[in-house]
Amino acid sequence: MVALARKTLVYEWRRFLPAMLAVGFAGLLQLLQIALVLGIFGSTSLYVTGSSADVWVGYPGTQSVGLGRSIDADLQSRLLMDPQVLRVEPYLWVDGDWRGPRETGGASVFVSGIDPAADGLMFSKVLSPTLRARLVEPDAIIVDRSALDQLGIGIGQSATINGRRVRVVGIGTGLRALGGVNVLCSLDTARRLDNDVTDNGPTYLVASLRDPARAATVAARLRGATSFGPYTTWSASDFAQRSVRYWLFDTGAGAGVMFLAGIVFLVGAAITSQTLVAAVNGSIREYATLNALGVGVGALRKVVLEQAFWVGALGLLGASVLGIVLLLLARSQDVPVVLNAPSALACIILVMGLAAVSGLAAMRSLRRADPATLLR
Amino acid sequence: MHSGNLIEPARRPALQAVEVSKAFVSGHQRTQVLDRLSLAIEAAELTLISGPSGCGKSTLLAVLSGLQQVDGGQVRALGSELGQLDLRALERFRLQHTGFVFQGFNLFPALSAFEQVELPLNHMGLTRDEARRRARQSLEEVGLGQRMRLRPSELSGGEKQRVAIARALAKQPELLFADEPTSALDAANGQIIIDLLHRIAHSHGTTVLCVSHDPRLVVHADRVLAMEDGRILSDRRNQAPLSDSRGTPS
Repeated sequence: MVALARKTLVYEWRRFLPAMLAVGFAGLLQLLQIALVLGIFGSTSLYVTGSSADVWVGYPGTQSVGLGRSIDADLQSRLLMDPQVLRVEPYLWVDGDWRGPRETGGASVFVSGIDPAADGLMFSKVLSPTLRARLVEPDAIIVDRSALDQLGIGIGQSATINGRRVRVVGIGTGLRALGGVNVLCSLDTARRLDNDVTDNGPTYLVASLRDPARAATVAARLRGATSFGPYTTWSASDFAQRSVRYWLFDTGAGAGVMFLAGIVFLVGAAITSQTLVAAVNGSIREYATLNALGVGVGALRKVVLEQAFWVGALGLLGASVLGIVLLLLARSQDVPVVLNAPSALACIILVMGLAAVSGLAAMRSLRRADPATLLR
Repeated sequence: MHSGNLIEPARRPALQAVEVSKAFVSGHQRTQVLDRLSLAIEAAELTLISGPSGCGKSTLLAVLSGLQQVDGGQVRALGSELGQLDLRALERFRLQHTGFVFQGFNLFPALSAFEQVELPLNHMGLTRDEARRRARQSLEEVGLGQRMRLRPSELSGGEKQRVAIARALAKQPELLFADEPTSALDAANGQIIIDLLHRIAHSHGTTVLCVSHDPRLVVHADRVLAMEDGRILSDRRNQAPLSDSRGTPS
């Protein structure tokens, strides 16, 4: 079979270049947008994903990690009664007002009070054992490298949170927060910083299981005890998704992503289909000749669709290469970007869908390939 | 061999038009291009339809080849009545039985001469080897055996038209239609093309119907139909076409 579509694409690549660029940039834009949104909003679930707890226990209806209320500390013994539960530790979330040594104005900080023990669950994936051990000191805090300027502080320096003195004993990475700055300290320090009188217990209890794969089952069976006041349980993955979903959809960011995806699709499809239409028109007499020789319109349509497919595939290839380079660059600059398989797949579907729609639009101009017009 | 065919009276014509009418309407203006025209074209000869531009000869070619439907009358090709066939059946008929050569060569710029010829064969259900064998054979027959790897941009006008002829010929059609095949070419190349068409008619038994206002072709055709205002004015046979003096391979 003579590969007419591919040979034409290679020979007349200049003609097809605008379409490939349009497809590529549409894909790249979409890829970066999704990676950024996931990166930024993914940081709202850092508390879950950066920790090794399998089950989270918190106030019913909590929509995002940062929006919890205190629960009964006695729940800890209830949890430990379950044969699957290996370890339980409290996690205290305190919203704080930061005053640094330099004039930075007010800064909002999210204080995470955690168990500083070497085998502690909270932030076990983002905190090195040595940094963690330093939190045992009273009033010791750890902040993210990227927050130092924002807080106007360096290592060893002191500041106040909610009017109480704290001291930076370490600098972590990967601790970025959305809408504020994460501050890590021990549970004892956090309790001292908490000036909310209604808080009379931890914000969460987190538990590790003997078999982490059973998190959902165990979370379900830990629910429903009535003698401890209001609480509910989530598997870690559920709670992480819950936090990200809250930020994506309840803040309108998700709608923004969808809107931009729609615009990108339309603009990309407009340029791509026009380019393909021009390519079809450029060969319309040749197509008409093939039709005169008996090659069916269906076969000619396939040629146009195949060209659209290759334009999509090549655009996607370019977008992928450029996208990976840009994502690596962003990582190196501490810009939060995350790309997972479903969102990469969504990009691929968007780009190939765009190419397919353009191909279908271009196919319509094949109607002008009427062999009778070749006779004069 | 061909002289025997010429005088055989009882044979069924390969192509027949019966009382064919065709009109074009543009705005309020209705132009009758073909007016109850009847015609029979014999197999295995080169028939030339000549006449001034606008006389309806290209329209006649279009309806005889099934590229256009008639308003009235019938067109029979190889025993099929073309008016009875739907679009797909017409495509299939053209795929199986017809070849076309146009004034513009209409070659894909991206394909080599060999691929131009092979491409339609791919759609005929031939094996790859058979398609390639036929493509090579046809290109050799039109004298392009040495140049079949070249793209249209590397070929002269005459060579391009020979590729177009090879493309039609490789299908081994019973009917070959040519519309002004020489008008874009100089005298020498035009001569080569008309010789080729003539030779195809005689050596392959193909019915070749050529439409042209090129007076140089008249002497090379087996039969010349002069057309004017949608009617056949004269029907003349050349007993010994000049182009045949070179001899035909058979």
